[in-house]
Amino acid sequence: MSSLTNAVSALWLAAVLALISVFGGAAVSPVRAAAHTGPQILDQQEVPVLQESLGEDYVPTVLITGSNRGIGLEFARQYLERGWSVIATARRPDAAEALNALAEKYPDRLAIEQLDVTDHARVDALAAKYADRPIDVLLNNAGIGGGSQNQVFAQKMDYAVFEEVLRVNAVAPLKITEAFWKQVAASRDKKIITVSSSQGSIERATRPSLYFYRSSKAALNMVMRNLAELLKRREIIVGLVNPGPTDTDFMAGLPKSMLRPTPDAVADMLRNIDGLTLETTGSFLQYDGSIIPW
Amino acid sequence: MSSTIDADRRALLAALAGLTASWGTIRPAGAEDIEAVTAPAQPRTTVLITGSNRGLGLEFARQYAARDWRIIATCRRPESADQLNELASGNPDMFVEALDVTDHEAVDRLAARYRQVPIDVLVNNAGIGGGMENQLFGRLQYEVFSTVMAVNAVGPIKMAEAFIEHVKASGLKKIMTVSSSQGSIAQVNMPMLYWYRSSKSAVNMLMANLALQLKRRGVTVGLVTPGATATDFIAEEFRKRIPNIRQPDQATADMIRNIDRFTLETTGQFFNYDGSVLPW
Repeated sequence: MSSLTNAVSALWLAAVLALISVFGGAAVSPVRAAAHTGPQILDQQEVPVLQESLGEDYVPTVLITGSNRGIGLEFARQYLERGWSVIATARRPDAAEALNALAEKYPDRLAIEQLDVTDHARVDALAAKYADRPIDVLLNNAGIGGGSQNQVFAQKMDYAVFEEVLRVNAVAPLKITEAFWKQVAASRDKKIITVSSSQGSIERATRPSLYFYRSSKAALNMVMRNLAELLKRREIIVGLVNPGPTDTDFMAGLPKSMLRPTPDAVADMLRNIDGLTLETTGSFLQYDGSIIPW
Repeated sequence: MSSTIDADRRALLAALAGLTASWGTIRPAGAEDIEAVTAPAQPRTTVLITGSNRGLGLEFARQYAARDWRIIATCRRPESADQLNELASGNPDMFVEALDVTDHEAVDRLAARYRQVPIDVLVNNAGIGGGMENQLFGRLQYEVFSTVMAVNAVGPIKMAEAFIEHVKASGLKKIMTVSSSQGSIAQVNMPMLYWYRSSKSAVNMLMANLALQLKRRGVTVGLVTPGATATDFIAEEFRKRIPNIRQPDQATADMIRNIDRFTLETTGQFFNYDGSVLPW
């Protein structure tokens, strides 16, 4: 870790690079040679023309991770009801009974794919398989809580669990974005959406709990805010949505009276996803449409 | 008098001194076989600083030493920490210890060694940037993310966990972490440094949680930032290009002032070097 560059120097550099791109990048070659920034790499990339038609017969596609149950399954159901094409991923499709039942109902519009989001080689393989498919909404839904009993300060902090929680909740959405952004850029709606949580709001932390889960969501929010700025120039909209406490396996153990029905939670998130524009890219949206503070 | 008896007597005296100072023994941490560093009879304000071999960490050691505090200065390789060793030489109240904050067993061992020493201020200073070239969208190096997280986010919470009893047994009772304004999600404007930034957001959340948890135990938890500072953390060719880059002594003096300022009322806040509160 010798040539560590501090954030602020990078900020300065990024500003310079932004100026270079604004002024056509004619000169200032030393700086350009010295720095490799995200924007620069992104700008070198060609987006293939994948849409055959944007007419009335255009069928938009959503790719949903963690689609075997809970919120992910309900996302698949509601997008299918809207007439969309759905690529639904799950770690173990064989065991995803409800999803398979849905595939029988919509054999032409639902494709089920095996995917563990922490398996980057598999993410790349899936992106290659769908290289020619515009993806209107890339929906990072897969997430884990890590178990509240594994993240109790000074009692039991299982740091291996923390690593796993970070890999699934914070790293995977970024990896999937990196693998699929071109397909998103080639689509009509151009949206990359991640299911976050109000538990990821540092501002709203009022009681100490779920150290790992919360921290992973704060990290995720940071990653997505960066991506929103980066992908804006490719007209890709990035958003974070929060389902609120929902009656799924994820919240097992909580009294039902505290939980919202899954169809309502998903309908709310869909409305928020629909409403996101390039002007509001990077927002962290509560299920009622309000903005959650970081 | 044989040297064995001499050693025994010294140990006994030291143990008695520790008891008479009524500090008692801080949790054995399941490592009774590790020899404890005994607390000298005269109570002293003590600070433990991670990553103390250079840059801000070295400057923390220097400035706290100038206040006559007891310093436990850790770094990965004390044998090559020339400046720190020079600072410590002739100062019986500065202890240089080898510690890689990602080695949790080593953290626990160090906590056991110092089980008789209350720590007034734990300064989680050790941090890495991860290299800008490893965190460019399109070329993201994911294995680097694990290391950056292990040092910048997991390291501080593990340190806090291992040393919580030492801090609780002290007078000032502060756990402070050097964060960065780059960890402010609200202030993101240019996309970059995915790993570094998200590790700082992650540690901010961990410390905000910890502040809530420890408030009723009288422990103050805080986040401070140095601003852009001319240390090895910023590659030399970049330093020249940063207007108004700050010097380590000034940056550290600012952080120490903010650490002094922290009270239970402001616990959990994210103080910029100028004393303003940074948004999350």
